[in-house]
Amino acid sequence: MSERTESAPGPASGLLEGSRRWALVRLRRSFRVLGLVLALAVIWVFFAIRSEYFFTSDNILNILLQASNIGIVAAGLTVVVITAEIDLSVGSLEALAGAIAAIVIIREGVPVAIGIPAGLAVSVLAGAISGVLTAKLKVVSFVSTLAMLGIAQGTAFLLTNGQSVYGFPESYRAIGTSKIIGIPTPAVIALGVFIALHLMLTRTKLGLKMFAVGGNAEAAAYAGIKVGRIKLYALMLSGLTAGIGGLILSSRLDAGNGLFGAGDLLGAVAAVVIGGTSLFGGVGSIWGTATGVLIIVTIANGMVLLNVPDFWQQIVVGWIIIAAVMLDQLAKSARLPGFLR
Amino acid sequence: MSEAVLTVRGFGKSYGAVRALEDVSLEVRRGEVLGLVGDNGAGKTTLVKCIAGVLEPDTGEIAVDGTVRDVHTAEAARALGIEVVHQSLSLIDTLDVTQNFFLNRELVYENWLGRRLRWLNRRAMYRQTGEVLDELGVAADPQRLAAYLSGGQRQMIAVARAMKWGRHIVIMDEPAAALGVRQAQQILDFVRLLASRGIAVILISHNMQHVLAVTDRIVVLRAGRKVGDLVTSKTSGREIVTLITGSELAVPGEEVGV
Repeated sequence: MSERTESAPGPASGLLEGSRRWALVRLRRSFRVLGLVLALAVIWVFFAIRSEYFFTSDNILNILLQASNIGIVAAGLTVVVITAEIDLSVGSLEALAGAIAAIVIIREGVPVAIGIPAGLAVSVLAGAISGVLTAKLKVVSFVSTLAMLGIAQGTAFLLTNGQSVYGFPESYRAIGTSKIIGIPTPAVIALGVFIALHLMLTRTKLGLKMFAVGGNAEAAAYAGIKVGRIKLYALMLSGLTAGIGGLILSSRLDAGNGLFGAGDLLGAVAAVVIGGTSLFGGVGSIWGTATGVLIIVTIANGMVLLNVPDFWQQIVVGWIIIAAVMLDQLAKSARLPGFLR
Repeated sequence: MSEAVLTVRGFGKSYGAVRALEDVSLEVRRGEVLGLVGDNGAGKTTLVKCIAGVLEPDTGEIAVDGTVRDVHTAEAARALGIEVVHQSLSLIDTLDVTQNFFLNRELVYENWLGRRLRWLNRRAMYRQTGEVLDELGVAADPQRLAAYLSGGQRQMIAVARAMKWGRHIVIMDEPAAALGVRQAQQILDFVRLLASRGIAVILISHNMQHVLAVTDRIVVLRAGRKVGDLVTSKTSGREIVTLITGSELAVPGEEVGV
């Protein structure tokens, strides 16, 4: 915008320097967006060269399918991290929602149209419990959601007697296995979740409050924002997205089980931090997370195609988290906030 | 003189065994600039936070325009037209100037869906912020992140925000601290401008020259108690410093304060 001049000797030079620095920051910002997409492209090219199966439409649809599940979960987690909290229970909430749906629909014979909201309601409730602990009782979310991780998974195991409850009706299985104009339904649902959360974060008052609370909780409170309530909403939202992810997973696997989804936490956190959402709060974006998910899932997929033992995936994803967080630390020390806002 | 727009009666506040405020009462009239001075720990910031609804006083009440009001939340204070420039931490680094400017009072699209979803009217907010900053002569891009503003710019924007939204009372806690001479003068000009618009201003400052230059009246706090309520034109820096410190000895003439 305009370069309004100011004639004070000291501050004026600071201002000039500030605007030059700002130009630099904009450049680096777009570099980071570009960098993510580029990284994804490089990974794709690498695997396409190494495995002839990689770049087939079957495999790409497979990547999309894998990515949609974890992507939905990571999108909700992004919102929590923007408010400077964390949700460690997302994987367990997936398992819990799937188990509830399985129990209600398969064992109790309740219609699918009621079983789905029941599964989602329970995971939102679990998010609300963590949220109230964090917002009202000032238990840090690291602890409240860690407790919920145990509670939710234990409950899921208890409900299913530690086994898979399988045999969903066809209408339920369609959620995870059908296609809409050639695209897997879960990917369409994921896209819908991404768009909705992106618009919520960037275009509504609620989203702005979430950025404000994560950026500086004290200043937000001075402005009359109810900090605790905003964090509660974020954790409930994360409960909802984890529930959606869990239902899709149980639909694809045709069963509810205390283990389904429990391993998704690592990938979801990795996707969020790769996507440039700061663990310090106040900075982040849904599209960054979506790109992060594609990177994680592509690497996992490619490693399977190259016959790399499964265990290496976790190690690689762990190292990616460390690298991404280090990048974030560097960015912070250079007073550079994420990107894509 | 017109009637008091803000009346504080018998404010008391303790942090555990520490009595931060003890039976403090004061009033400010429309268009009046009240200086609030005192040593570090005298209770100035606690008093301001109680008025702003950030802290809840243990005892006492607030009246706005002669009516006793419940100001137990920051939101309630804002709704009454009380605006505060908090010492050094009022802007959020990760938001841009406009987002800070409209924080928690954002404009939304005024149609059915816009009100329902509370859909931000970003264009209008950027435009209005630019207009206000232009009008006040504050040099800053409405779209710049607060993290990239200079210390002076941050302070100017915090003050400009208070000027836009404070309908009745604007409280400034050390607004000119850490500013250059010229920017400090600009802030003092803003204080007089606010008063000339009929707004009551409370100015907290350690800088005795600033206080003597722009205030109409000065309230002195010492150890949580009010120890002086003086008309600025009838007092001196010497008298004020004596009240602040509680002794004659420490007064090195008129050039006190930093």
